[in-house]
Amino acid sequence: MTAMTAKPAARKQKKTWSLWTERRLPSEYEAVTYKFHSHFRRAPAPFELSENWPVNQFYLRNREGSKLKLDDWEGYRDPLTYTYRRYVTDQKDREVYCDNLIDEFERQDSYRKLPAPWLDFLGQAYLPVRFPGHAMQMSAAYVAQMAPSAFVTNTFYFQMGNEMRRVQRQAYVAKALALDTGRPELADGDTARAIWTQAPHWQGLRELIEKQLIAYDWGEAFVSRNLVLRPIFDHIFNREIAELARANDDDLLALLHDDFRSYDEAYAVETTKALVSYATGKVPEHAALLRDWVAKWMPLGERAARGLSEAMSAAPGADNARAILERTMTAQARLIAECGL
Amino acid sequence: MPKLQRRDYYDTARDMNWAFSYVSEDEVFPEELSKSFGIHGEQWWGWDEPYKLTYREYVHNQAGKDDGIYSIRSTIARSNLYDNLDAGWKSAIKAHYGAIPVPEYFASIGEARMARFGRAAAWRNMATFGTLDECRHGQAQIYFPYCLLAKDPQFDWAHKAMHTNEWGVIAARSLFDDMFTANDAVSTAIQLTFTFETGFTNLQFLGMASDALHVGDIEFGALISSIQTDEARHSQQGEPTLKIMINNGRKAEAQKMVDQMFWRSWKLFALLTGISMDYYTPLESRTMSFKEFMQDWICRQFMDQFKDLGMNVPWYWEEHFLPELDWVHHAYHMGVWFWRPTVWWNPDAGVSPAERDWLEQKYPGWTDRFGKLWDVIGDNVRTGQIEKTYPATLPIVCNCCHIPICSPSIGKAPRITTHNGRKLNFCCEVCEWVWKSQPERYDTHLSIVDRFLAGHIQPPTLEGALQYMGITPDVAGNDAQAYVWNGASRLAAE
Repeated sequence: MTAMTAKPAARKQKKTWSLWTERRLPSEYEAVTYKFHSHFRRAPAPFELSENWPVNQFYLRNREGSKLKLDDWEGYRDPLTYTYRRYVTDQKDREVYCDNLIDEFERQDSYRKLPAPWLDFLGQAYLPVRFPGHAMQMSAAYVAQMAPSAFVTNTFYFQMGNEMRRVQRQAYVAKALALDTGRPELADGDTARAIWTQAPHWQGLRELIEKQLIAYDWGEAFVSRNLVLRPIFDHIFNREIAELARANDDDLLALLHDDFRSYDEAYAVETTKALVSYATGKVPEHAALLRDWVAKWMPLGERAARGLSEAMSAAPGADNARAILERTMTAQARLIAECGL
Repeated sequence: MPKLQRRDYYDTARDMNWAFSYVSEDEVFPEELSKSFGIHGEQWWGWDEPYKLTYREYVHNQAGKDDGIYSIRSTIARSNLYDNLDAGWKSAIKAHYGAIPVPEYFASIGEARMARFGRAAAWRNMATFGTLDECRHGQAQIYFPYCLLAKDPQFDWAHKAMHTNEWGVIAARSLFDDMFTANDAVSTAIQLTFTFETGFTNLQFLGMASDALHVGDIEFGALISSIQTDEARHSQQGEPTLKIMINNGRKAEAQKMVDQMFWRSWKLFALLTGISMDYYTPLESRTMSFKEFMQDWICRQFMDQFKDLGMNVPWYWEEHFLPELDWVHHAYHMGVWFWRPTVWWNPDAGVSPAERDWLEQKYPGWTDRFGKLWDVIGDNVRTGQIEKTYPATLPIVCNCCHIPICSPSIGKAPRITTHNGRKLNFCCEVCEWVWKSQPERYDTHLSIVDRFLAGHIQPPTLEGALQYMGITPDVAGNDAQAYVWNGASRLAAE
């Protein structure tokens, strides 16, 4: 044993983690993200409990056992190289911007000036969106906890946070509208819940959302969420809603969604494209796997988009539902194409 | 500023529960990831967090906190603060960095499980912040030792430890996986946020921060006290979950979960924090003894809060827990020092004459119980028989806490029992109870000694075991003070 205690005379001091294998030094982002999922493919089971413990079996089935597998997930990088620290710093700036926007419009008493038909529309077709928005947050939390490397996981943590950000601004707007326009039902939870669970135009989305929540294979969860659900949802609820808002003199809502689209949605798009590119770059056959999963989810996606397009078409001055649907499906198809699928 | 305050719209931002109809509730919240305890649907919707926060406030607060700790880091990087720290204290922070940062990141997975499988939207929102918090704690706490790598290769274990099968790592991983990485959402709220974060993290993050400031380690003190401000918030997911269980007649189930995890947490904290506070922290910087911290923060503050919620102290409190406060971490300390080549830090014996006086004062009877054993070790060092101060075999390890089995007196045998024909060793009655009260969690899991006996560790020697544990010569621990505590010369040690 004494031999173990003798230190080498001239110890070459390491400047980076011994597990880091590249010749170059890692960036700070890499040093605080690389190989944090020591449980991934750990033998005999991911976690230090009985192999038969259901959570071990769940991970073996849905993470290690997913068809979306490749040798080394540690090579994936978030194009924005976000650490937690940079994420909260950037999002603090976005939130200050939103606060300033709201403040500026509130000084002009903007809610009270909105036309009644637009408020009617918002109550039916927009404000209940916080229910599926929250489910998008849940869904991001799921992909995050199942992803095979922390480089992937963290991008979903940040997407989860961004979904919460949007939902809370929507809740704010609902409450401010309710108070200033004398329409308490606009912020009433039971009213919104009833519309979300019963109004026909929401049901396609609700079916997609509920079924997406139980897509437990991590690869399929990623594809159904980020290649089908999210592009459809974000097209309607960032882009279409902003255009309609602008046409109905609701510039505050338009500008808020412009911000969600320009930053949070762009983050989801960029990280998704990078992940698809990484997976198909490592294993070209994965392109077919991803396409198959997209195809499996498209009927539900189209049904959701159809219902939402009909809902949007009810706004004063809106296009017909068919045109909105076409734009929505084109946006989703564009993402798939940009992913090289 | 927007004219509505948080309280004006908060309820609108957390009432996103609905009854699923395209899929079943059991499919969305499967028992293995979200144990219902027979409480379903709307019974969870009234979950009400005591600490309310919005996203805009969160990013504002957190960006400010991170600015603070990273600017301290960059200021201190230009100083020689680290070089001037006491050798024992350096060991305390190395032990912390190996055992805590990556598991904190594991806790982000436990929080994300609640953010997805928590059974109320308000809860999932709090867990969303908790997830982000734990990502922060993993990243910030690993960045600091990363910056110290050039000073000492043992800091590599901040990153490497969880990839190894070092015995202390197995013990830590076994606890943390049981508590959160591989736990269901409801149990996680009771066991991680209520049992562990409300009680024990105070000890590690405030007790150690207090010692750090006395030692002059401003960097470590600032880092971990900033982390505790997040813990104090997200730990509050436990109480509303507990209330819903109690209100739905599930108090006994909640009590059992608390009793199980309190005990498991105690064992690891006695190992990690107990030793650091009472032996590695320089004598002049010790603010309180480990036992005093435990009495003040766990036995009094935490238990008061616990009883206020209508819960009982764990069944083993008087008979097992309180007596262990007087001896268990002292025994662990001696074991860790003896098996020092198996850890990634340099254990500080901490038994100089002045330290012995302090130990005897804080733990009356310490000299008779432990001081005499240290006398033998000291004699061996002084007479050049250093080999006698090293182990030749592996210790017996408890199948529950995975810590080498220690007893309050020499010669007391471990508890040997069988389960479905398999032989198991336990350090005490409570560890045996924890294991046997939920064998489905543990029954095929092998301790490091089981693996040795099963032939997984080759060659089956102590050297083979060191290799299996991932210990390399450049990090293998040695006495932190080069044996000067003993009045012995460096030569004797060499």
